[in-house]
Amino acid sequence: MDDGQKRALEAYSRGEMAALELRRRLGGATYGEVLHFLGEAGLPLPRAPVDGREEQIGRAREWMFPKHAA
Amino acid sequence: MPRDLKLFVVDTGPLIALAAAQSLDYLLFVDADVVIPDAVLYEATHDASRLGAQDIIDWAKARRASIEIAPTKAYEAFDAARATIPHLRQPDLGERAAVEVIEEPDRLIGDERGILLCEETTVLKRVVVRDRERIVEISTLDFLRILEAEQRIQSADAVFALAEQAGRLASRAEQMNAYDETTRRAIQQLVVRDQTG
Repeated sequence: MDDGQKRALEAYSRGEMAALELRRRLGGATYGEVLHFLGEAGLPLPRAPVDGREEQIGRAREWMFPKHAA
Repeated sequence: MPRDLKLFVVDTGPLIALAAAQSLDYLLFVDADVVIPDAVLYEATHDASRLGAQDIIDWAKARRASIEIAPTKAYEAFDAARATIPHLRQPDLGERAAVEVIEEPDRLIGDERGILLCEETTVLKRVVVRDRERIVEISTLDFLRILEAEQRIQSADAVFALAEQAGRLASRAEQMNAYDETTRRAIQQLVVRDQTG
């Protein structure tokens, strides 16, 4: 893995790069391989930020579990 | 009997992350029809040596009655092309198939609604949802956090930690080079094609 690919992996881990773009930069890696690379580099899986998406997450929860919805 | 809610798994991330955490059945903790485009299943499983691949195939077979592997023209064309180009690769195959499934006119009818389950990160911004009254997109972690909030699972972060741990522990040196005729046959057996169409 070259420096550009390492930087791409770090950007992906921070949630700043889409998986498809990362895979392209890694020569067509699969999501499973991305998990390997993250593990080898000691980087966490990205966590999509909730900020700005509260409404759609709330709606999904309401649809998934209607009886518990507020 | 079809349910009012459809849970579309639109890329491989949720399947692989949940498989790595031995948590694929969490997809069935919701009272929804689980729909996986055939190409997404293919991408996640075509090489049995890949992380989670065998678990996903085994799960799809075991839960065949509970999930729908949706046929797509994108995968059908890809599968046909592989007859002449065996190692053909198409990086956006799963995504194109997912869009095809979501946009099928009779996929959401009446009061039915859809949840698109995607990978983390900016993929969420790439999904163009045309009917926001009926469709929302969430990430794998969003999905798990909802299950946690509803006390269906203990900890969303613990599931993710397991997936990360699997990524760290999986030995690339141990990977076999199993490739993909078995998976191809398995997907063909799992796909329910509309014989009248």
